[in-house]
Amino acid sequence: MGNKKLKKIFTLGIWKDNPIYRQILGICSALAVTNLMLNSLVMGIGLIFVTSFSELTVSLLRKHTPKHIRMMVQVLIISSFVIIVDIVLKAYYPSMSKALGPYVGLIITNCIIMGRCESYAQNNKPLYAFMDGIASGTGYAIILLVIAFFRELLGFGSLFGYQVLGEWFTKWTIMVMAPGAFFMLGIVIWVARSLLPGTEEESMKGEAIS
Amino acid sequence: MKKSFSYPIIFMVLITAFFTLVLSLLNYSTKDVIAYNAQIEEWKTLLYIFDIDYQEDDKEIENLYKEKIEAEKVNDITIYKAKENGDTLGYAFPVEGNALWGTVRGYAAVSNDLNTLLGIDFVSHSETPGLGGRISEEWFKEQFRGIDLTENNEGDYIEYRPAASGNVDAITGATLTSKSVKNMLNKDIEEFRQLMKEGLNNGQ
Repeated sequence: MGNKKLKKIFTLGIWKDNPIYRQILGICSALAVTNLMLNSLVMGIGLIFVTSFSELTVSLLRKHTPKHIRMMVQVLIISSFVIIVDIVLKAYYPSMSKALGPYVGLIITNCIIMGRCESYAQNNKPLYAFMDGIASGTGYAIILLVIAFFRELLGFGSLFGYQVLGEWFTKWTIMVMAPGAFFMLGIVIWVARSLLPGTEEESMKGEAIS
Repeated sequence: MKKSFSYPIIFMVLITAFFTLVLSLLNYSTKDVIAYNAQIEEWKTLLYIFDIDYQEDDKEIENLYKEKIEAEKVNDITIYKAKENGDTLGYAFPVEGNALWGTVRGYAAVSNDLNTLLGIDFVSHSETPGLGGRISEEWFKEQFRGIDLTENNEGDYIEYRPAASGNVDAITGATLTSKSVKNMLNKDIEEFRQLMKEGLNNGQ
């Protein structure tokens, strides 16, 4: 029973209900940090950490939190975890902290975390909420890595900083600039949506009703 | 569920106090490491502009810096002296100016006789990645090594090619950033040379 529920959480978070191409959440950072795969990986790990622990904490406190101030409590919890990530990066991975710049702090405003806290952690047991955080964070991280793979390969000719394309390759500088991010994100959403025709119709029905 | 007026307030105060406590403990325990990292970054920059080779190892950078470089305060600005076997190799000083999107900060180093630019490096900037941001790339910074400061007119030390007196290549697609960097370096190098010359004349 428990296993089945966990499996469902992960297929939803990573594939069927992926935060980026299904819910179109967390787009800002998906555009901003994806010019290098390493940055995307660290950002993804940071988000997995923040989402899972925020959901765990929100879920633990859900029975004691007065309903009308729950948003305030969620923001407080999320920002605390984000500051933890920021401090840890600054102390033990300063070069990455410099590369990600303000985007670590901006995890606070990443809608995925708030969205999952509000829609899932608020109504579910702590363990499941924690797992849901990991699943959603992983879904986000995978898409970031896919986008970064193409942007770094075409824009710099490298992957994770290692040069894979030789001197003959003309770098597509546009791919590491903002427009490249928009193109790649659009293509990823398009491909993912055309691979998921069934659920598309379901969500259309949902929209019609609401 | 809880309808009382005071409960939400007490709840919020307690939970805020708890998280603040956790964060301040974490902040306190990592304060020294973070300060040390920032220090290492600065030392690396200074070693780089004097063209002193270093390995990516914190301890070694610290030893090398302490062995070769000495900080000194002159008229409110901190300048750095590089020494080798008792001789002064040159001086480094902070440079700063406005570029396209914000302030660019860095260091520049000149030789002992103030006539050669040894190197430059940038500590912080907010230029467009891939365009103006390329000022921190190796090829751009390396061009500034060994520029003869007596060649061009005073205050026009750096000039981009293809001007007749050009000695450095600008960055394609980042004309404004390149220009700002040039102006900032020319101005700050000029000021520093004036300052040092006055100092020398006063018998310092």
